Amino acid sequence: MVVPVGESVTLRQTVAYAVREAVSGDGADGGDDGEPTVHFVAPVAWHDIGDVGVGVREETEELLERVAVWAREDGDDDLAVETAIIGAGEYLFGPDDYARVIADYAADVGGDRVVVDPEYSPGGNVPILRPMEAALAERGLVVEEAPVDRPTRRGRLLRGGGAAQFATLFGISFLFYQLLGGFSGKQFDLVTGVASATLVAAMLHRITFTDRLRLRTLGRQLVRLVAYVPYLLYEIVLSNLQVAYVVLHPSLPIEPRTTEVRSALWGGMPLTLLANSITLTPGTLTVRVRGRRMVVHTLIPAAREGLFDGALERAVRFVFYGRPALAAATPRERGDARIVEDEDDADAEGETVVTGAPGGDAE
Amino acid sequence: MTPLEVAVVGFLLGGVFFTFVTAVGVVRLPDVYSRAHTASQTDTLGAGLTLVAVALVLGLETTTVKTALLVAFIFVTNPTAAHAIARAADEQGIEPWREDR
Repeated sequence: MVVPVGESVTLRQTVAYAVREAVSGDGADGGDDGEPTVHFVAPVAWHDIGDVGVGVREETEELLERVAVWAREDGDDDLAVETAIIGAGEYLFGPDDYARVIADYAADVGGDRVVVDPEYSPGGNVPILRPMEAALAERGLVVEEAPVDRPTRRGRLLRGGGAAQFATLFGISFLFYQLLGGFSGKQFDLVTGVASATLVAAMLHRITFTDRLRLRTLGRQLVRLVAYVPYLLYEIVLSNLQVAYVVLHPSLPIEPRTTEVRSALWGGMPLTLLANSITLTPGTLTVRVRGRRMVVHTLIPAAREGLFDGALERAVRFVFYGRPALAAATPRERGDARIVEDEDDADAEGETVVTGAPGGDAE
Repeated sequence: MTPLEVAVVGFLLGGVFFTFVTAVGVVRLPDVYSRAHTASQTDTLGAGLTLVAVALVLGLETTTVKTALLVAFIFVTNPTAAHAIARAADEQGIEPWREDR
């Protein structure tokens, strides 16, 4: 039996259920010598990149240790408990990717039954549990959700808001309010600042932070973001001059091409920052983003070359993942950049990208 | 003219230049996608250089901070709007213009 685990409110119950099922063992579990075995696996994405990743990896290991302790508490002596981090060297983006690594693991250990925690959310802020279950079933595995009492059923946008989220958002809003008021320190500004910051934080603290809040990481990312701005400005000035040249040139020497770039970035914020930076520099314009695949319209060859060389992508990687992420191959070297010759081509390609995501691009 | 005035006039001229380029570009460029490229010139350097000039005139004041924030917000909203237009065009099935077809 294989149980994918991740941080969730019903994890403890899921573990208990899986152990109970394995012990009562009706032959459906995957122990090849008749001894019931439960495999707890934690799929992790992008944990090998930079300083964010190290934390993720440690947390996942701690989680697995905790799960193993629980499982031994619940089970009897015959029960074998295995834990593993899976998908480590790969790019996990959609439900198919998660299903693939889980199914691969199940095949390795000879398991054919998967118990899923109904509150498990591998994709962070994206609800992919259902499609992942469907994809697992397609691969010939028996999938079932652990029956648990759910303390709360949250809406899609609402993640677990807590005091930390509230306090952070309150702090940011309050500082911004004071900034607009010029840090006057007047009683009026302070009182109205507290009032509006409370209002903002109360309404939005469950929406603003989709991932769990890591203040240290957030702080480091902010510092690197500040370092990123001058670089972005430099790129903007450069490409502005290039585009101004072709626009004012009598013969209008433009060569517009639609291109497709698969970025080596993970998650909503990094992709948004990259897509916006690309659009902000004249000469390149993000038309579509599907997963990490971006369709970018380019106006002149110089802008296209810059895009394929991935300088902005590298800078965005630096902002989010720190210095180690700087050592990355360019999209051109990875084979992740190409010119789209016609529209149908672009759409057809989109389907193959998901399953064929190369694992070697993370370094 | 004082050096400050020279700098202010220089930045203003730069801002006017890139805004002018955008105006020319919107007229000359062939389709919606390529026009979106040149539109971002006004939003970045056109508005950016002009607001730098404004900040220089104001000197160190609260309003200057707001000027900087203005640039920051333009830098967030411009690509979002440009992307929305380009994406809408793509969804309408508008094929990008090419010089070789």
